[in-house]
Amino acid sequence: MSHGWWLGVALLLPLAPRPLAAQQDSAMSRAFELERRGNYSQAVEAYRAILAARPADASALLGLERALTPLGREGDILPQVRAALAVLKPSPTSGAVFGVALRAWAAAGLPDSLRPVAERWAAMAPGDETPYREWGAAALGQRDRAGAREAYARAREQLHRSDALAPEVAQLNFADGDFAASLREWLPAIRRVSGYRTSAVSMLSQAPDSLHPELLSQLSHERDLAARRLEADLRARWGDPQGALESLQDALPADTALAVEALRGLADQLRTVPGRDGRAALGRILEQIADRTREPERSRTRLEAARAYTAAGQRDAARRMLTGIADDRSAPGTIAAGASSTLVQVLIGEGKLDEAARRLAEHRNEMGADEYAPLERRLVQAYLQAGDLARADSLLTGDSTVDGLALAGRLHLYRGDIAGAIERFKAAGPFAGDREEATERTGLLALLQPIEADTVPALGQALLALARGDTSHAVAGLDKVGGDLPADKGGAEVHLLAGRLAAAAGKPSDAERMFKAAAVPSAPGTAPAAELALAELLLDQRRPAEAVAQLEHLILTYPSSALVPQARRRLDEARGAVPQT
Amino acid sequence: MNRREFLARGAAGVLALSPSLATSLRGFRLASSAPWLLVPMDDAQSDHLKAYGLTFRMLERGGRAEWFLNYRSGSFLLPADDAITRDAALNGITVEPLEDSRLVDIRGEIQGGNMDAVPLEKVPKVAVYAPPNAAPWDDAVTMALNYAGIRFEKVWDPEVLGSKLKTYDWLHLHHEDFTGQYSKFFLNYAGSPWLVDMVNSNRAMARQMGYPSVPAEKRAVAVAIANYVQRGGFLFAMCTATETLDLALAADKVDIAASYADGTPMDADASQRMRWDEALAFQGATLELNPTIPVYSDIDGHQVNSPDRRQPLGSFSLFNFSAKIDPVATMLVQNHRQVIPDFYGLTTSFTRKTLKPSVTVLADEPGAPWVKYIHGEHGEGTWTFFGGHDPEDPQHQIGDVPTDLSLHPHSPGYRLILNNVLFPAAKKKELKT
Repeated sequence: MSHGWWLGVALLLPLAPRPLAAQQDSAMSRAFELERRGNYSQAVEAYRAILAARPADASALLGLERALTPLGREGDILPQVRAALAVLKPSPTSGAVFGVALRAWAAAGLPDSLRPVAERWAAMAPGDETPYREWGAAALGQRDRAGAREAYARAREQLHRSDALAPEVAQLNFADGDFAASLREWLPAIRRVSGYRTSAVSMLSQAPDSLHPELLSQLSHERDLAARRLEADLRARWGDPQGALESLQDALPADTALAVEALRGLADQLRTVPGRDGRAALGRILEQIADRTREPERSRTRLEAARAYTAAGQRDAARRMLTGIADDRSAPGTIAAGASSTLVQVLIGEGKLDEAARRLAEHRNEMGADEYAPLERRLVQAYLQAGDLARADSLLTGDSTVDGLALAGRLHLYRGDIAGAIERFKAAGPFAGDREEATERTGLLALLQPIEADTVPALGQALLALARGDTSHAVAGLDKVGGDLPADKGGAEVHLLAGRLAAAAGKPSDAERMFKAAAVPSAPGTAPAAELALAELLLDQRRPAEAVAQLEHLILTYPSSALVPQARRRLDEARGAVPQT
Repeated sequence: MNRREFLARGAAGVLALSPSLATSLRGFRLASSAPWLLVPMDDAQSDHLKAYGLTFRMLERGGRAEWFLNYRSGSFLLPADDAITRDAALNGITVEPLEDSRLVDIRGEIQGGNMDAVPLEKVPKVAVYAPPNAAPWDDAVTMALNYAGIRFEKVWDPEVLGSKLKTYDWLHLHHEDFTGQYSKFFLNYAGSPWLVDMVNSNRAMARQMGYPSVPAEKRAVAVAIANYVQRGGFLFAMCTATETLDLALAADKVDIAASYADGTPMDADASQRMRWDEALAFQGATLELNPTIPVYSDIDGHQVNSPDRRQPLGSFSLFNFSAKIDPVATMLVQNHRQVIPDFYGLTTSFTRKTLKPSVTVLADEPGAPWVKYIHGEHGEGTWTFFGGHDPEDPQHQIGDVPTDLSLHPHSPGYRLILNNVLFPAAKKKELKT
């Protein structure tokens, strides 16, 4: 054989007919690619070509349905559907063909054609709910609720099961606004498949308040766990976390795993419930979960329970949880450290500062520096507020961080050491603490800097009283200090602060006197702010004429003050030139 | 009055102020001993709207001023005295001390360009036509006057139908419906408390004044207002007061009110029977006969409350007039902006096809079939119509929060309103056009 003959065979091979299956696969791939590219018109033609050869090809029929939908030509599929049904035989893919047929008839506005298709499908799949579910879905797709209800009723009749398609009927009842009927369907649905509980809660929780008693009464007649869990979830959603807890409590099964699953389900609901009651109930649920689980899950859950109790203001319960973890040698180190940290915060909040200090010292080695230092500073702050300056001082010793310096500044201030406070506030700079603390510190610096005396113990005591929330003594103290200091050496600034505190405390006549003491020409840095504060006080007192005179005085006397635009705005409001804001 | 008299009168005004002023002036001194203050109205001005109030109050104190038309966007020349300087400082108004020598230079500049100096010597007595229960923040002119600090009095139907109107130099019409159809909101807003109030108060007033219906009473009010202008009054109207005033005037023996307003339906041939010779600005308009559509006629170009006819907002341009030949028109368009964003009102604009030939267009939207701001004479007086409701609230919906003009101190739209307030203060000159 010559080389020339072989070459001729090789050239002819591509022209030989390919096997039929390979051709069909290729046609399917091409149709799918056209559809993927968004070329729906050509995809339609490609799918039709396949269906011409194989009318019951489910993949091609589904592809044709997909390609026609974006073109808005859903009804064009009817000839192919008829052809497919004509040749359809039972197979694993015949359900898909029936599904397309149901949707096609529904879209074509031929609801009477749905039932024969569904029943033919049901005959091929005895005992299966799917034909009726698809029939109902096709009807619902056309907003035909009566058609869907007919499909579900037919299913129950044919399958001899009163709970057949219960989730579908429940949703239909919900759509009709019949919450009681929806609940009746959801219960058997959840009993069969517990995963339906989320949908049931989501829908039933939308019931109007007036229906809650009726639905809860309906649930109270059911004794099983599914009903209790549904009741608990609904009560949680309806803002009754305590009731939710009690509903579940009595029905918890002896089986630990089942009980924990039920408790966790309610915990998930309670996490979305705002308010102290919700947090308290969550704490109790988590505590019960912790009692039923092992380490490390137990400590982690107790820690979360402690946080929930803390948020609920139940410090004793929180401390009980935290102490348990902190003292539990089997608890993982990181969780124990976290518990200790939270416990120290709880103890500080309760004012048990010495116990907090002891706990902090005990767990120092388990905590990282980033966790320990803020806690220590919080403790210092608490000691400062409690007036125990010596204890605060001892804890601060050696802390040279900017946050530590900021606290040291306050310590010196409360002792009346003005020079020492200024030095430390300056060293702390503008970045220590959060924005609010930094702003407050800057305000304190502005208050202290005009004062020439190195020590003013009375000012320290007044500011300490203020830090402790004793506004009455703070105002009296500041008023006296303001009177003792020359106006241009801090007296005006101290009087301004005292006036603001008095105004906030509802003592307008005291505030007015103090603002006037601050609004003196010898303190031009303070006077504009004092005059503006006085004018605002007068406006609040419904004395607009006096306020106008005060504002005019401010604008004309201190025309370059940064407060002039604000004063003009107030002036416009006082005169009625602009609406009140 | 020579300059010495001018300054003496200014000083007298200062002395008339309360003793408390002396106290508040303790820390305040004139920055300069220059005899004049220039109130610039270009972008150097920090509060354009309050600058009008400053000039107005100076006139109130018996002083004189000059309006430098087209000089630095319509600046004012005021005598430099403590009262004015104090007023400017309190209100944050920019004033520039001016020496005599510099003033001579400015006058030369004015003489050589399209500018003029108009003396302002009479403080106009201002009235705002508004129902007694109208909120102070519901009317752009009231807001502008309040913000600028210009004194005004409120009048309503009893004052207009009585004899009080003649005591005022300038009258502004609140967005009133002079066809007596309650802004044609009667059917669409039935039951709204504000509408119930409006209907009740108008019906009570019609009964009190002895008219059979609100439309009949409102037409009588419209005629009284037209007579006021005829006798020499200055009229300024905005929004729907413009269109409905003319519709009411032209509806002589024609029923243009829906049956809910007067018990009888509109005349089917109302458009054909209107007597436009009795109207101030418009002619040949076609009336909207459907009582449920809150539109009166095709005078309004934008038809804001008719979804299928509503036109989008554009912007309108002020015309440039010869200051020396047309000082009145020039005064009315003094502004630091020549193109201003448009704003809706129940009547937003005026279609060109319905304008009488004698109307002077002060501002229009180039290329659009409507204009925005018009002016004209009627007998001895003048009228000015400005379409739209609130220049700084372009969409203006019922129930919107009130406009706070301290946030819009440079509003060019509001400047147009205040030009109108000050224009009657100008000493009348014989117009050459």
